[in-house]
Amino acid sequence: MNLRTACLALAVLLTASACAKAEEPQSAPAATSTAGQQVVQSPSGTAGPTCTLDQFGGKKFDLKTATVGFSQSEKEANPFRIAETKSIKDEAAKLGIARLKVTNAQSQFSKQITDVQQLIAQGAQLLVIAPLNSDGWEPVLQQAAAKKVPIITVDRKINAKACSDYLTFIGSDFYEQGKRAADRMIDALSGKGKVAILLGAPGNNVTTERTNGFKDRIKEKAPGITISFEQTGEFAREKGQQVTEQLIQSNPDINGIYAENDEMALGAVTALKGAGKEAGTIKIVSVDGTRSAVQGIADGWLHAVIESNPRFGPLAFETAQKFLDGQAIPDKVIISDRDYDTSNAKDSLGEAY
Amino acid sequence: MLQQHGALMVLALLVIVGSVAFDSFATAGNAASVVVSSSFLAIIAIGMTFVIISGGIDLSVGSLFVLGGVLAAYGSQYGLLVALALPLGACGVVGLLQGLVIARTGMAPFIVTLAGLLGVRGLMLAISGEGATTYLVKNPAFASLGQGELLGLTYPVYITAALALVAMVLLQRTGFGQNVYAIGGNEQAAALMGVPVARTKVTVYVMSALLAGLAGALNAARLSSGVTILGIGLELDAIAAVVIGGTLLTGGAGGITGTVAGVLLLGVIQSLINQVGNLTSAFQQVVSGAFLALVVVAQRLLSKAQRLS
Repeated sequence: MNLRTACLALAVLLTASACAKAEEPQSAPAATSTAGQQVVQSPSGTAGPTCTLDQFGGKKFDLKTATVGFSQSEKEANPFRIAETKSIKDEAAKLGIARLKVTNAQSQFSKQITDVQQLIAQGAQLLVIAPLNSDGWEPVLQQAAAKKVPIITVDRKINAKACSDYLTFIGSDFYEQGKRAADRMIDALSGKGKVAILLGAPGNNVTTERTNGFKDRIKEKAPGITISFEQTGEFAREKGQQVTEQLIQSNPDINGIYAENDEMALGAVTALKGAGKEAGTIKIVSVDGTRSAVQGIADGWLHAVIESNPRFGPLAFETAQKFLDGQAIPDKVIISDRDYDTSNAKDSLGEAY
Repeated sequence: MLQQHGALMVLALLVIVGSVAFDSFATAGNAASVVVSSSFLAIIAIGMTFVIISGGIDLSVGSLFVLGGVLAAYGSQYGLLVALALPLGACGVVGLLQGLVIARTGMAPFIVTLAGLLGVRGLMLAISGEGATTYLVKNPAFASLGQGELLGLTYPVYITAALALVAMVLLQRTGFGQNVYAIGGNEQAAALMGVPVARTKVTVYVMSALLAGLAGALNAARLSSGVTILGIGLELDAIAAVVIGGTLLTGGAGGITGTVAGVLLLGVIQSLINQVGNLTSAFQQVVSGAFLALVVVAQRLLSKAQRLS
């Protein structure tokens, strides 16, 4: 009986600690509404396939009076997700979209499927989805197709057919981000040394492409650099810290760390500080462009950060409106991302999220 | 008995409130989405009910769920039979090992199945390239097991209903069911009365593991792929559903009806939050926590009222 009470107490503790790993409070982003807005890489004349309302088979409706569903994948507990959800909500408010329904899957993929199905059941006429995983969308795609509900996926892709299963994808060129990160790393190490990769969460295209872009570029440009360690930090700060702690035990001679997002890079910084390393001895390059990471550059801990802009609101609704107006929509809308280094970190802090 | 009805009453109350407050709540589409998505958790919670009534706990079910799904998707390339046999076989073996260790060595189920939780997820990561490989279901017969529809509900709902009925009969009408209650009530007394304690314990852990594997396989059929990021924290959902369904965490009392009500209650709470549609993720957790607290209070009041009358 006593043992059971103890076990129960332990279980409660485990749950509580699992819930308590939210982000420490950050200074609220005070940037003006247009600062740091997403810019489409090649606005017109793209060669890829396009999609019109007729091809898709939907009917025109008024965005302002329609029910619009946004399905967020992860808790709003890291800067990327906070900025992403805020951008969608703000833009909807600005455009006068009164019936915006927002769900949050809290990193549970089964819940995200249910969330989107319930948005469809609530009569959503447009769905904006930030997918947690790229595969496994079958039940949602079937229901959306039956009701001809256009789906715009943002930041991660769904493995399905554009224009029939979903309308289009808006996001960064993650392969390119990986390549640019590699260029920065090559530059920082003058083309030779040992590099570790903190991989993102498995099962989505972001991790795969950021990894492939980085590795391909290193192989092509800098044969002197070896990738001697790679392990997943699941895009989370504490996991990034944990993996880096193991890394400096097993590979004390490491020269550079490529973190596939800022949260893991900041975790790595904490680990390096804990191990008594000086700022800048191990070169860290990461992707995202959060305020804390850009501050990290200014402080000398991070070498460079490739931006991945989460402010999807304006572009998502602009794309939807164009589509409803009968214009042709490309099968993917790729945004152009900036990068941050010591030359612009201090001045760009206001634009980081 | 009334303890089990606490969840049912709060469930009924929430459904009524939801129907009045939101036009789009009491629609066929929304009801179907709640029932369909609840069916996978329900299958796991049925197994968990047996385990908890016997005085144990099974923390490995979330990991077995994802392992079952990955193995089913992998196996589906060799046909329907392999797609079912592979996950059930693997999960059955894990359940058997856990059951044997718990029954024979007397180690705490909490620790043994916690090891299972970690080990099984590791195994799943090992066969899926650290989770990066998602096996797709190409076999239409297997996919239809999760996607086929009858009267607006997919097959897993009917499979769950059938399993719940069988479980009810097993628990209430058979010697095995009585043994489960007896062990959970007082293990030593049960052993003295000649109840086969070890065998019964092993059986409930094997059942729990098999049901978790089956739920994973059906879910893989539904999603057409062996998604590798599923099932984290699912064991806590299953335990919560069982306990708010009126089954005592200390064992010896409870039932399947309450568990099914508990699972549906979790689904309805989630659906109501989605109907509101503008809560932040942090606030969503506060709301679900508050509702669960409400259920516990309702149960308490109900059982008090029963004792007084």
